[in-house]
Amino acid sequence: MASQKRIAKELSECMANPPAGMRVSLANDADVHKWHIVLEGPPNTPYVGGTFGLVIVLPPEYPFKAPVVTFATRIYHPNVTNDTPGKICLGLLKTENWKPSFKIQTVLQAVRGLLVEPQPDDPLEARIADEFRSDRKEFEKNARQYVTQYAKGPVKFDKKLTSTAGDAAATPGASSS
Amino acid sequence: MDSLGLDDSDEPRDVELSSLSAIYPEIQQVHPDDRYTIVLDIPVTPSKAVVVSFPATQEASADPEQRLPHVNGNGNAAQNGGTVVDQQELAHLPPVHLEIAFGHDYPAEKPPKIAISTTPPWLPAETIKKLEDDGPRLWEEMGRDIVGFTYIDHVQQAAEDVFGLVDKTGALEVDPQHKIAILDYDIQARRAAFERETFDCGVCLDPKKGSACHKMMDCGHVFCIDCLQDCYNKAIQEGDLAAVRCLEPNCAKAREKSAARLPGEKKKKVRTRISPSELLQIPLDQEVVKRYVTLRYKTELESDKNTIYCPRPWCNGAARSKKHKKPQGLELGEASDDSGDENDQDGENGSKKKPYSGAELLAICEECSFAFCSRCLQSWHGEFFRCTPRRDKEELTAEEQASLEYMKLHTTPCPTCAAPAQKTHGCNHMICQRCQSHFCYLCSAWLDPGNPYQHFNEMPNGRVTGCYMRLWELENGDGDDVGLGFAGGVGGGPGGDDRAAVDVPDLPEVGADEPADDVIIWRENPGPDGLPFEPVEAFNGPEEENVAPVVIDREGPLVLRIGGQEENRIITILEEEDGEEGGDSSNSMRSKLVDVGPLSSAEVAPAPPNGAEEDEEEPLAQQQPPGGAQQQRRNNINNNNQNQNQNNREGDGLQGGDAWPVADDDPEAEGVLILNAEQAAWVRQFVQLALDDEEPEDDDQDDDDDAQR
Repeated sequence: MASQKRIAKELSECMANPPAGMRVSLANDADVHKWHIVLEGPPNTPYVGGTFGLVIVLPPEYPFKAPVVTFATRIYHPNVTNDTPGKICLGLLKTENWKPSFKIQTVLQAVRGLLVEPQPDDPLEARIADEFRSDRKEFEKNARQYVTQYAKGPVKFDKKLTSTAGDAAATPGASSS
Repeated sequence: MDSLGLDDSDEPRDVELSSLSAIYPEIQQVHPDDRYTIVLDIPVTPSKAVVVSFPATQEASADPEQRLPHVNGNGNAAQNGGTVVDQQELAHLPPVHLEIAFGHDYPAEKPPKIAISTTPPWLPAETIKKLEDDGPRLWEEMGRDIVGFTYIDHVQQAAEDVFGLVDKTGALEVDPQHKIAILDYDIQARRAAFERETFDCGVCLDPKKGSACHKMMDCGHVFCIDCLQDCYNKAIQEGDLAAVRCLEPNCAKAREKSAARLPGEKKKKVRTRISPSELLQIPLDQEVVKRYVTLRYKTELESDKNTIYCPRPWCNGAARSKKHKKPQGLELGEASDDSGDENDQDGENGSKKKPYSGAELLAICEECSFAFCSRCLQSWHGEFFRCTPRRDKEELTAEEQASLEYMKLHTTPCPTCAAPAQKTHGCNHMICQRCQSHFCYLCSAWLDPGNPYQHFNEMPNGRVTGCYMRLWELENGDGDDVGLGFAGGVGGGPGGDDRAAVDVPDLPEVGADEPADDVIIWRENPGPDGLPFEPVEAFNGPEEENVAPVVIDREGPLVLRIGGQEENRIITILEEEDGEEGGDSSNSMRSKLVDVGPLSSAEVAPAPPNGAEEDEEEPLAQQQPPGGAQQQRRNNINNNNQNQNQNNREGDGLQGGDAWPVADDDPEAEGVLILNAEQAAWVRQFVQLALDDEEPEDDDQDDDDDAQR
């Protein structure tokens, strides 16, 4: 209950005053636990001009458990897995780092920050990270090509891909990120 | 006003009292029948917090570190080196109690009679005298007129700088005998002020009155009681002790930083855990706090490899130890707070002293007080008896053996504390919940917390580990029950079908046309009994050009990664039951081949051995339990000395043999799902090698499930 109330609050805040370059909506009006975000590629990055779909799934325990954020649009980025849905390894979202006082807005800003400034030292796609470090031009070319190929036009949120429910019962013994 | 019983008389005293009580509604009469004597408490709240020092007494020096939550934490008592001056910064001092009697010849003839006191009497007598004398003085200055308001206002103003008692350094000296009472008053006053305030709780984002909030003792962050209760109750229920900390983002980090600036490097770690007494204050249920205390004690014992447990099966308490004190009631033993260095040293010393001599072997159980020998685990035999360590294996019951086996298969030990960790989902970067070490789930290597993913990537020197590019292996978890335990697991990871049932019908199609990025072969570990391992060698050999790079790794489940084929897919070896020649069933080797869709590993399906028998799809799909896909995968990497209990469990999960469209009587005929001609060749060879060890299936119930697959 408390969780619903907080999510509703955050949602109205995000809708009234969305983070820069983003549009927030619910995947389905009856369920506040799944959000669709349309993210504009930030300026001065190879992603400019692209629109990326993000899916945020809030576990039932939210805000005590971290939301699960995935890219619905393919993106060429060292910190996002190069498939659909693109998984993000964001420090903030790891079980041991998550605090209930983080807000979705914080998470969204962190994701956008990752597009502005990829973290090649903490990569999910090592090859892209290497390329980012050693051959920036090639990286930007590839990233732009991905934008042309996948991130033009309205964002498609694939129902099947985004329907995995919330996450994360506590792992006995250890947590994984 | 009514309480003073004033009427509309012209008496100047009545007029004055009426206006006074309008200004100070808290004015009261001393006696109901004497309405001209009033009392009033003037709060002493200095505009700037005052450092109150209590000159040395024995009592003060004995308790320099007394923690008082609402005193600003500047109890810098012992810091002044040798001089034992106890100082506290206080914002509220006990009020000045003012008693004013307006006699019948007031105001014309006589000044009001004034008596001043404080409880406790912390105000020096001279100050009181001076204040009392101020009354008549002001009365004179007013031209012997009504002086009530002027005087009260005067006292109030004087109270703001604590009646000039504060010296230039901002310190006020008070007789130490009043210390407790004064500190108490300050706490209460601060609490009252806190409760009147309004805070925005960072968790529910609602504004809450201070009375519904709790201020964290160590860091001062404020959250509403409901949210704290929710969060901590849940965390303690789940045993996630690390989550019982301040909920503010970066709280510990910020404090660590500020602590690092202070000299004295020893206290590097700031206290992030919340004390049981604070949990009770929030308040949490006593039962919950009790569990918290017990869990913390238990975790501490378990993370110490030297802990000895009581051999009585019904007890299993820990032996008494100096390092870990059993919590008394709801308080944790003191030793628990300064863990770390001391424990490590003790550990080293302990290992050097081995073998123990005589009396050191004596252990006494904390719980049942049983005195026993820590080497042979028999009741204490005196220090001169030479005993031999009891052999653990013989003492294990079948059940214990089973769980040990399971742990061996499906857990990875933390490299630091050896706590076994089982992954339910996610990547292979693990953090031990007990000791917070970062490690790799595949090889149990310790990972640098600063850059844990390096392990899965290329090293700066260009080398790679065996876990290169394997961050997401076993993403759906490790274990028989993978996917059953948590919500996100049903249907596999992201990308999996929500239906837990496995899509057998897709198999042939999938096999026919979709390309994929790489092929993974899950294969059994030969296990400690050293079953031959030809299959692997087989396709390491002549087939190599087809199965390009092959990586074999991990001591546990063996995983082969093969890339570069035109029609790549995930293949596992079909499970089959084939006891070793003359071996017992627990040594039997099981393998199976499973074809998996190219992208979603969740759709791993147990292939009907005799080709795709499409008629049988429906029952299979329905009867597969949730998480069956993962379970299936899990089985593929099961060690071959899997015990019977586990087989039973699998059987239960799959609801008996009917689910599997394979003839019971024909285990030999187990075919493989042929993917294409090229792959068929090596799969056949592979299976043949496995079959070489086979012997006819017996009809044992336990084996049925496996035989049917």
